[in-house]
Amino acid sequence: MKQIIKRTKAYYCVECGKCSGSCPVARVNEGFSPRVIVERALSGMKGEIEGDRELWTCLTCEACTTKCPSTVKFSEFIRGMRSSAFNSGYTSRCSQGGLLHSIQRVQSYRDIVQNRLQWISDDLKTSTEGEVLYFTGCLPYFENLFSGFVNPLEIARSTVKILNKAGISPVVSPNERCCGHDLLWTGNVETFQKLARLNIEMIKESGASRIVTSCPECLRTLKLDYADFFEGTDIEIVHISEFISSLIKNNDIKLNRAGIMTYQDPCRLGRHMGIYDAPREVIKSMGELVEMNKNREESSCCGVSAWATCEGNSKLMQIERLIEAKSTGADMLVTSCPKCLIHFRCAVHNQIPVEKEKVDIPVVDLTVAACRALAGE
Amino acid sequence: MTNIGVYICHCGTNIAGVVDVEGLTQKVAKLKDVSLAKDYKYMCSEPGQDLIREDIKNRNLDRVVVAACSPRMHENTYKKVLASAGLNPFLLEIANIREQASWVHLDKEKTTDKALDLIKMAVAKVRMDEPLTSLSANVIQRVLVIGAGIAGIQTSLDIANIGFDVVLVEKEQSIGGRMSQLGKTFPTLDCSACILTPKMVEVSLNPRIKLFTYSEVEEISGFIGNFKAKIRKKSRGLDESLCTGCGLCQEKCPTKVPSEYDEKMGKRKAIYTLFPQAVPNIPVIDRASCLYITKGKCGVCKKVCPAGAIDYERTDEFIEEEIGAVVVATGFDPFDPVSKEEYGFGIYRNVITGLQLERLLHAAGPTKGEVVRPSDGAIPKRIAFVQCVGSRDEHANKYCSRVCCMYAIKNALLIKEHHPESEIFIYYIDIRAFGKGYEEFYKRAQENGIKFMRGRVAEIFEEQKSRNPVIRADDTLLGMVTENELDMVVLSVGMIPRSDSSKIQKMLGLAASPDGFFMEAHAKLRPVDTLVDGVFLAGTAQGPKDIPDTVAQAKGAASGALEVISHKTLQLSPLISEVDERLCRGCGDCKDVCEYGAIEIVTLDTHKVARINPAICKGCGACAVACCNGSIKLRNYTDSITFAMLDATLGGAV
Ligand SMILES: Cc1cc2nc3c(=O)[nH]c(=O)nc-3n(C[C@H](O)[C@H](O)[C@H](O)COP(=O)(O)OP(=O)(O)OC[C@H]3O[C@@H](n4cnc5c(N)ncnc54)[C@H](O)[C@@H]3O)c2cc1C
Ligand code: SF4
Repeated sequence: MKQIIKRTKAYYCVECGKCSGSCPVARVNEGFSPRVIVERALSGMKGEIEGDRELWTCLTCEACTTKCPSTVKFSEFIRGMRSSAFNSGYTSRCSQGGLLHSIQRVQSYRDIVQNRLQWISDDLKTSTEGEVLYFTGCLPYFENLFSGFVNPLEIARSTVKILNKAGISPVVSPNERCCGHDLLWTGNVETFQKLARLNIEMIKESGASRIVTSCPECLRTLKLDYADFFEGTDIEIVHISEFISSLIKNNDIKLNRAGIMTYQDPCRLGRHMGIYDAPREVIKSMGELVEMNKNREESSCCGVSAWATCEGNSKLMQIERLIEAKSTGADMLVTSCPKCLIHFRCAVHNQIPVEKEKVDIPVVDLTVAACRALAGE
Repeated sequence: MTNIGVYICHCGTNIAGVVDVEGLTQKVAKLKDVSLAKDYKYMCSEPGQDLIREDIKNRNLDRVVVAACSPRMHENTYKKVLASAGLNPFLLEIANIREQASWVHLDKEKTTDKALDLIKMAVAKVRMDEPLTSLSANVIQRVLVIGAGIAGIQTSLDIANIGFDVVLVEKEQSIGGRMSQLGKTFPTLDCSACILTPKMVEVSLNPRIKLFTYSEVEEISGFIGNFKAKIRKKSRGLDESLCTGCGLCQEKCPTKVPSEYDEKMGKRKAIYTLFPQAVPNIPVIDRASCLYITKGKCGVCKKVCPAGAIDYERTDEFIEEEIGAVVVATGFDPFDPVSKEEYGFGIYRNVITGLQLERLLHAAGPTKGEVVRPSDGAIPKRIAFVQCVGSRDEHANKYCSRVCCMYAIKNALLIKEHHPESEIFIYYIDIRAFGKGYEEFYKRAQENGIKFMRGRVAEIFEEQKSRNPVIRADDTLLGMVTENELDMVVLSVGMIPRSDSSKIQKMLGLAASPDGFFMEAHAKLRPVDTLVDGVFLAGTAQGPKDIPDTVAQAKGAASGALEVISHKTLQLSPLISEVDERLCRGCGDCKDVCEYGAIEIVTLDTHKVARINPAICKGCGACAVACCNGSIKLRNYTDSITFAMLDATLGGAV
């Protein structure tokens, strides 16, 4: 714990409470306070923190980290403490009965054979080797679990279609593994490292020098958390929103008007990676953007992260955010993270605590929206 | 034949604890030309000094080495010893065996060896040093004070009252600075104007103070004792000598714009004075909003002025003044909270800054001292103060601004006194009540029912209908996140360096501390001096401070400036560079590297040569290094001396 305190500069904490006041979880969960967790750590209460269920409640959305006047890196602190708790035998309460984390762990076995390319329809061009690699992430698995209320694979198809439009036939590999984001953020560092090594191998074999992701978590993980593994290579990693916005800037594609949109900044893309403008530029080129009150760095979270925190309070956050989105008068809520999409759709999938009119706003992935708006299709 | 005496100090155990002083002394005694070596417990003490003095007289020493602490500490002490014994003080060398040996090493043997090396070098150098005499320059016995807030006013009055002349330059149209904007002052709650205006009047009546208002210093050249300043006196759009200050023009002017002086809480006219007791009480025409100047219409002020003073076409004037010392008292800016987006300043109308509240509380302010909500003019009953806005924050300024805790408490008390039924909250991290009477003042606020909430405000949002701001904050003592709906929120903004301070900084060659304020020469021992000789700092230009500290520092700056200008001449160090004009080819490389602008290239009959102004030269030696043919040498630091020193320690390896 001393190491973690040092690495995250938690010792700078003056217990001002800016974190807890800014925390979207603390807003709905009185028992959760980033400040108190840090305070406990500074008084050496390692066991208490590891055994506290609130350790897994944090969304690591960085709402506090970006605001902390003493620059304590709270998300990283939580990540460190979770791995320490994991090593002491504690685990998160994985939603979906642990299924998602199991699927991710299974992917860390070298010899498994995955059936992850079935979605590639005849109209899509992909390759086995090449300069650009599309890192699909968990979309094929999500399809199996959530197709009742979302179409995760439409994101993958739209991404390839847009890449094709730009003359790129991306590498899509059957040997791709989960990037490891969720396991890393729930303390299972060892399995994360296995996944990372397998992915690096796959990427090197493909000969790609550029990786496109349609998931902000993959982006963050590959770009920041794989940095040590990638050492010595010169591979560029971009999010699809950056890619599309550069296509638009260079006049390589044109988008038709698709209505009034409001935008949800995913925490990994926004606060973690600082990408706020690219998705907005894409939206502006196919419609009108109306901002929600809380946007960019101030944006609220979709309520769940790393499949570790889904609970009643998550639903409260989601409903609150959907109400905010609906009240902008936009035709749809656009997001650029598959998980934000799933979480928001899930929130209104069955019972909702407010009148339906307040929250019935379509939620659409940015890439899907852009693909639908492609001129001449 | 030279006769060198070497004196080795124990500095208690500071040196003797790590260096074998006795052994060292025996070795040093055997060095060439050293006729005696002695050690003593405290060389800088009076008996230590006497020891050297007696030996110079009785043993005919002609050069001295003292092996002790850094020359920054006691070089002057020993120079005076030499002088008092009739020896040229430049025939002294210091071997720094404390900071450069005993304080930084642990191994006794090696440290003693290193001390011996340092002494050998000093002996080699002193052997070749030349006796030098100090230079002197005439001093212009006047001081320029830039900025006429409470700091500049106090400095000017002190200097003038001792009997020296002051040129006081103020950028705004009246003197008084930020203090004139304040309603009352902590911790005694006396009204700011009541204690400030007497001093302002004193400035205007003192014949020794030449006051330029609505003016700026554009250029400063020269050096300590001999500065020249070019002052731009901006046009007020009228003839100051005719204006009687009757105020008719302001009354009749039809144009109203938000008043900067009132922090946009009120309006002013296009022709206006800042406040009723302005010094001088002469208005200015704001060229950006004047209808006559912008559109060629109106001209009302000219028509009504009984003195015929209005002159729209009047242009700026330039004046040159000569002075011997400069005091910079340019003050501070309040932090602009717009960048703290989570507080919604500029969006939510009932969120204002501490300085805006000062204007509301000021008897001569836009609301004549009544605190009202900007959105609807109602009297707010629930008010919160948000502390540390822009201070103690890695995303804004790291430092504590030192006054905001106290001014929030002050204004909370004032409101509570006016409206005892109101509920007042102060959201703080720590209350910093460090000054005399401040903790007691804090207590008084507690007694009066002001509620202190420990927690930094996370965000402010607005109830749309009522336009009431709502504060979200972690109440860190109760351990819960709270929401608090209020009628008005006051942001206790901190102090930041003035936005235009870089201009002054460049003009005078000042340094800035990491916080952006002007840097003093030494944080503890030279708090009002700068690294530029003859230039001093006063007040908040040097860092955040309250009025008592500002005034104390202003008095310090006055005494610093007086120390320079109270003598008719000035002693200058002769340890400077000199040019051998026979060798110099006038290439100008030296001029390019001189940080101080001490070098000029002059044209002689046949060729050009570099000339060094001895009053500006600091003896840094940069020019001597840059000179391609060795025509510049730094006195007593010549190449041959340097090589001799290296020889002494490396044993002829070079
Ligand atoms: C909201 C608020 C409330 C406060 N309340 C209190 C209180 O109750 N008690 C207390 O002790 N302290 C209080 N303070 C602190 C107090 O205001 C300062 O200590 C004091 O004003 C500092 O004076 P100064 O002369 O250093 O700077 P300033 O008042 O800023 O004066 C600097 C002057 O220099 C002029 N100037 C700037 N640049 C130039 C230039 N280039 N050329 C010519 N002139 C120039 C400016 O126009 C100004 O007139 C308060 C501060 C704030 C922000
Ligand atoms: S004086 Fe008080 S409010 Fe101002 S920065 Fe320091 S602690 Fe914060």
